[in-house]
Amino acid sequence: MRARAVALATLASVSIVGIGWQLGSQAIDVSQSLTAFTGGTATAATVTATTDAAAQAAATAKAAADAAAAAKAQADAANTAASAQAAADAADASTAAANTAATAQAAATAAAASAAAQSGTFTGAVVQTQFGNMQVSVTIANGAITEVTPLQLTNRGGRSVAISNQAAPILRSEVLAAQSANVQSVSGATYTTQGYLRSLQSALDTAGF
Amino acid sequence: MAAIGSDHERTLAGSPVRPAPGLPHAVESARVAARTAARASVDRTWPALTFETMGTMVSLRLADSDAHTVGESARVEAAELAKAMFRRWDERFSLYRDDSELSRIARGDIRLTDSSASVRDAYALALTWRDRSNGVFTPHRADGVIDLSGVVKALAIAEAGAALTSRGLLNWSINAGGDVLVSGEPKGRFGAWEFGDGAMSTGHGVAVPAVVTEHPEWVVAIVNPAYRGDVLASVPLRHPLRAVATSGSAERGEHIWTALNGELSPFRQVSVFAADIVTADVLATAIVAGGEATLNEMTARFAIDVLAVLRDGQLLATPGLHRAE
Repeated sequence: MRARAVALATLASVSIVGIGWQLGSQAIDVSQSLTAFTGGTATAATVTATTDAAAQAAATAKAAADAAAAAKAQADAANTAASAQAAADAADASTAAANTAATAQAAATAAAASAAAQSGTFTGAVVQTQFGNMQVSVTIANGAITEVTPLQLTNRGGRSVAISNQAAPILRSEVLAAQSANVQSVSGATYTTQGYLRSLQSALDTAGF
Repeated sequence: MAAIGSDHERTLAGSPVRPAPGLPHAVESARVAARTAARASVDRTWPALTFETMGTMVSLRLADSDAHTVGESARVEAAELAKAMFRRWDERFSLYRDDSELSRIARGDIRLTDSSASVRDAYALALTWRDRSNGVFTPHRADGVIDLSGVVKALAIAEAGAALTSRGLLNWSINAGGDVLVSGEPKGRFGAWEFGDGAMSTGHGVAVPAVVTEHPEWVVAIVNPAYRGDVLASVPLRHPLRAVATSGSAERGEHIWTALNGELSPFRQVSVFAADIVTADVLATAIVAGGEATLNEMTARFAIDVLAVLRDGQLLATPGLHRAE
């Protein structure tokens, strides 16, 4: 995995350098997509960051690197290539953002600027996920992402919808009581065969509700 | 036995939960109700089919319409089918049976790698849940023995339910020792048809759904761990959360210890509502063992509702369990 990440990162760098050589000072829009699997339940979040350098670009070169490696491995591998560093950092950021919504899988598409436009702060597009809208701001210095700030994580004031499912203290009078006389089952800590005879469930069963 | 709500705020006084505090009385009134129901042919209410397995009792209910459609013999047959499935799981996985496959693995008579596919599948499932719960739920006893009781009852419930469905019984409720899985509705709207006329001009009778009464949902009551004749909440098992499992120490009275440092669990009882019974059962156990950190993580990661009772009797609930008004 790590070797693959290094290889792809190197390939991406070579592409960028080669095209940059040809295009001189023209801006290059590099898109890289990578997928990070960190285990756990899979929910996908997509974070997109675009640079305004794209608007100036006379030609656009795209190098796409797919890395299916743990985020740490990617970060290590990425030390060898600036563009991969950016991608890996973006992946880390998206994973971190997704973690707040309890996600473990993140797919990130990061666009890095060319050598001429490699510094600055860029704001990504708003992306809708199952946890709400997500948006990040990326600060790039000398080709490396130095900071990723989540601008919007969810649709609830920055708090995750999933977190809003947190169990909170509640009075007994506030807890759900179905508007129905028909209670057919009782759930409690597992009763023994003997315990069943004294249980509410036993009474309900006899009644045939 | 005190009446419901006597030593609590009067939350249940106006609640629709059918009171059954004095069980002898409840059982007697239940018998009266059953007799009354038996006389009314259309609204006939069938008593639950119960059988003993895995050290507890299973209560199986078929909706009126299904029971009506298949008749008494098929109804008993369905119960026998479910019973056979529970027995099969018990015979294979019970550590209380010396001849079970899991007991033989525990003794070293057979290797895990030589065990049956269902043992390995159940073990793999338990390991998956161990990872999902960060190790709080585990299929390994302290002495190293593989103990799959944490998933086996739920798997048996799921399989029995699937078997009923495959027989065309779409409206049922299975309660195994307090773990409940339901399908359809108690009145059996799905698959329940009666003939009415006049709806179409063809002159033929038109099939219309059977009358859906004001109580179309399977409702489960969550017992009060401090007083088991009392009910904390009654919750309809609405799609997609059609299963509920409760873990706690109330029934057998033993303490629950946390998985990590041997402290007492902050929870006396935890009920988890989920789409499937395995998730509900495993997470209820995990939250009791893992405490508040596990509770918060699991409610964030999984589509579940949770009603937890703290040691001092206070309740914690996810928003889905809040009373609407």
